[in-house]
Amino acid sequence: MDDTFDEMYGSDRGPQITIKEADNTHAQIALSNCDLSFANAFRRIMLAEIPTIAIDLVFIEANTSVIPDEFLSHRLGLIPLDSANIDDKLVYTRDCVCDQYCERCSVTLTLNARCTSDVPMTVYARDLAVQAGAQCGQPVITDPEGLGTIIAKLRKGQEIKLTCVAKKGIAKEHAKWSPVSAVAFEYDPHNKLRHTSYWYEEDAKAEWPPSKFADWEDPPQEGEVFDYDAVPNTFYMDVESVGSMAPDEIMQQGIKYLQQKLMDVMKGLNGEDQMEDDGGLRSPGADGGDYQMGGMGGGQGYETPFGGQDGRTPYGGGYGATTPYGTNGWA
Amino acid sequence: MSFGDEFLDNLLPPQEEEGKLRVRVLPGEEPGSASFQIDDEDHTLGNALRYMIMKNPHVEFCGYSIPHPSESVMNIRIQIYPEYEEETRPVDALMKGLDDLRDLCDVVEEKFVAARDSFNEEQGV
Repeated sequence: MDDTFDEMYGSDRGPQITIKEADNTHAQIALSNCDLSFANAFRRIMLAEIPTIAIDLVFIEANTSVIPDEFLSHRLGLIPLDSANIDDKLVYTRDCVCDQYCERCSVTLTLNARCTSDVPMTVYARDLAVQAGAQCGQPVITDPEGLGTIIAKLRKGQEIKLTCVAKKGIAKEHAKWSPVSAVAFEYDPHNKLRHTSYWYEEDAKAEWPPSKFADWEDPPQEGEVFDYDAVPNTFYMDVESVGSMAPDEIMQQGIKYLQQKLMDVMKGLNGEDQMEDDGGLRSPGADGGDYQMGGMGGGQGYETPFGGQDGRTPYGGGYGATTPYGTNGWA
Repeated sequence: MSFGDEFLDNLLPPQEEEGKLRVRVLPGEEPGSASFQIDDEDHTLGNALRYMIMKNPHVEFCGYSIPHPSESVMNIRIQIYPEYEEETRPVDALMKGLDDLRDLCDVVEEKFVAARDSFNEEQGV
């Protein structure tokens, strides 16, 4: 692709992206020369299918605040946690080899707060202590005071003591995993295509404020003839990040996961050959070889979920290579 | 390409069995036309894919639907022009659609990276 050619002469050869405005919380882009369906797919994927980290499990040791446990857990879940480059740092718990959760698939945060003064105390997201050595999952703090989201307020003598487990997930499952608070989406700011009709008292033009994208497109000429064949061509998006990821990463991840989706369906389409597919579908935990060696003395180096403390595996006897039918040295 | 017990497969809830086909042909397949059912997909893929397949000059019709909001499946119907029936099967059109959409993503990503870099450069100065 010859990008300089496109920049110099403009192009009708495929989609164009222009960034109008961007900082670390939001980005305004114009996506042109593409179809509504694609622009919408991009929007939907950014909203619902980019993985981030959010608190998913809460173990409450003490909660004497006025906020009930489930209310508190919900609030904790919604706190944005740093999810930059999460793909390199964390795996989904369901894909992990561990039994419940581990450092490979989760980040543990603890909260320990007690009010001892007569002044009511506010517990903020900054009071969440992330497990040592965590590469991600720090609460997102963007306010100048460095406090973060308010979790709860405590009166004298009240206490909150809990442990949270943050996991990787997508917003399709729960909105707390969404990297964006909103993705504004608009086309045809002057309503030249007449896809919408404005309600008005006397004059729609005078009563409706122009869209913030209005000056990015030419206003309609006086007495312009309506083009019945026109289709939307340029789409304006404003990606508002919740802070867990930079808008730039969100957009890039959006394209990546759209492609991932396509690859998955392609694989499903080619996956008619079951034998071929089985190898890929088996999770590392189900890897046959090692477990079968339990009876042959291969079990010493590790503990398996199947090979309980007595050293028996479902495949045979204990480590001593005896079978349930023979004498067992451990019994 | 054979699709054996698809009908029976369709009766089972999706994603419960490992190794089950994610893309199935719905009953009523004919040489130039077929409907496919894809598990765990929605409008995100459906509409973009439908548009892409419609762009294929061999395709007479392509439409998608989500039969019920509580079932996470998407149906997509493809009909090939009779004169191209020999050349292009509906599956080929589906595959081409996916492939084209992936290429589109590639271009968009490229354009995005370029736009971001030039924007950053402008801001930096």
